[in-house]
Amino acid sequence: MIFRIFRKELLDTLRDRRTLMTMLVIPILVFPITLNVFMEISNSFQESASAKTMKIGIVGDISQSYTQQLEAIPAAIGPKKIIAFKDSAALRTAIEADEIQLGLLVPSNAKELSKQQQTITLNWLLDASEVGRSERAELYAASLKANAEAERLQNLGLRPEQIRPLVVNTVNCASDKKMVGQLAGGILPYIFIAFGFIGCMYPAIDLFTGEKERGTIETLLTVPVLRWKILIGKMMVVVCSGMLAASCALMGLFISIEFLDLADNKELLEVIHSILTPYFILSMFALLLPLVIFFAGLMIPIAIYAKSFKEVQSIITPLNIIVVLPSMIGFFPGISLDFTTVFIPVINVVLATKALIAGTLTWPYFLCVFGIMCTLAAMAIAISHKQFGKERNLLL
Amino acid sequence: MISVQNLHKTFALTKQQRKELNTEAKTATAVSDLSFSCQPGRIYSLLGPNGAGKTTTLRMLATLITPTSGQITINGINALEHPQEARKHIGFLTGSTGLYARLTPLEIIDYFADLYQVAAKDKAERKAYLFDLLNMNDFLHKRIGKLSTGMKQKVSICRTMIHDPSVVIFDEPTSGLDVITAENIIKLIRSCKDQSKTVIFSSHIMSEVDLLCDDLAIIHKGQLKFNDTMSAFRANMMTNNLTEEFIRIVQMPTPLA
Repeated sequence: MIFRIFRKELLDTLRDRRTLMTMLVIPILVFPITLNVFMEISNSFQESASAKTMKIGIVGDISQSYTQQLEAIPAAIGPKKIIAFKDSAALRTAIEADEIQLGLLVPSNAKELSKQQQTITLNWLLDASEVGRSERAELYAASLKANAEAERLQNLGLRPEQIRPLVVNTVNCASDKKMVGQLAGGILPYIFIAFGFIGCMYPAIDLFTGEKERGTIETLLTVPVLRWKILIGKMMVVVCSGMLAASCALMGLFISIEFLDLADNKELLEVIHSILTPYFILSMFALLLPLVIFFAGLMIPIAIYAKSFKEVQSIITPLNIIVVLPSMIGFFPGISLDFTTVFIPVINVVLATKALIAGTLTWPYFLCVFGIMCTLAAMAIAISHKQFGKERNLLL
Repeated sequence: MISVQNLHKTFALTKQQRKELNTEAKTATAVSDLSFSCQPGRIYSLLGPNGAGKTTTLRMLATLITPTSGQITINGINALEHPQEARKHIGFLTGSTGLYARLTPLEIIDYFADLYQVAAKDKAERKAYLFDLLNMNDFLHKRIGKLSTGMKQKVSICRTMIHDPSVVIFDEPTSGLDVITAENIIKLIRSCKDQSKTVIFSSHIMSEVDLLCDDLAIIHKGQLKFNDTMSAFRANMMTNNLTEEFIRIVQMPTPLA
């Protein structure tokens, strides 16, 4: 009988355009569309920034040495035009008016300092809020620095190794998988939790408050079916909807990576493919299922209690923020699953998923998170059952 | 058959309700000490003004809500102890009954037949019989949301009768319906009587009661003011017409116990 109720409620839900939008269409399209738009805008900004002729103003380059060095830098990193300025105040004004994009202040005694083998300090003036300017200044500075060092070493008759006795390299022993897990692992549980919650929302409202508003609940409660069976049948649809929305969002992200060249780095793509194994997907769903049941169990008592769509929405919408905000903890580095965080609902699932991506999740932690979330889900079902049994909540 | 003994129902009042009702009482009595019985093949009418306790009484009979005290027996089944068993015998239709707008009449009827655990063969026969009787075949596959009020009412009737209940409860069934649509309900009530079903219906319209009922109960402020046959009501009238008599009885002071 539970399955008969589930079938009917699922059919009813799938025919509701609003639910269908939040359950299937938006989760699938949100990532391909937003990421594509973001990438297009970002690329177009970068392209226009690199194609734009960068006007470089120079003050104090009496010997024209730096002007010549800058002109000698290949145009591959972007076209440039060098203009000499008499004083730094005029150069600063020109930069503020965006007539000049980069300004180089050369000390007037640069030649003497060079002869005396002293350090020459050059200053770049730029508007750092504009895209690509700092990067271009760093590239030019690196070239000027390399030239100066080579000249100084030649004058001293030294080889580079003679003044560089020690080179310290850092070797990252973490696997690529772990790095991806730590750096980007926060986004996956966030997507799952956010869409899992949103996916549950409309069916929960429609199947409980909606039935009261439409006057269909009275008829349903007169059938010879135990109320807990009716509740479970309906709850299964809410949970399915949440899981489907979360899965669709994941699918959308996968489509973005695979077909929209979101990750054009071949090595990164290989890492992503090595993460997305059937074991990983099954483990993630095992963590997510009790969480979505918990969400459904939070929303259903509210939906049963509320008398109108407006009332229930006004309660569940703030709840959305309370539940989804902790899922952002996955974005912060340094927070990991331990015997404190494992007991905090939502956060434990986020951190466990992050560890799962990095391949560092151990069985005791996995079982602990799963067990805690199952307990919370069972409590949420019990609360829903209690609310569903109250006459005052069911009949208007 | 329906048998009701000393039925009593009180509701706890919320703070908001206490404020609205301007009372400090923590509970409100909806129904007090009701006793009556409805016989098969007869139409029993529960007549009373708005807020008299008719809907609460019928909801208790339909096992939707539980009485605070008292006994309800449906076809010999104790409805309070075995509500699931009692529900199998009951068909319940209200004037405010809603239908699932995104489903078709056929899907709704199939759903309720399954919930009432109607056997496959009986289901097919009942569906064919009711669809012909109510002339529903033309709109079986259209979504409820696209049907007229009259068509929806036919679907509601079909849903109520799909499991062939022997006890049928109607709560203000013609409320909000036009005369032609209400006629379907009147026909249904009469047909239930012809099939020797036990019928109870509530109304606040005297003319409707006069048209249909065999036995009459007048209820006011949760208490029974009259309980006898319709012919006894007519015979003992002290005013010129049925409506005036109804008003007279309702306004009669309740004798002190």
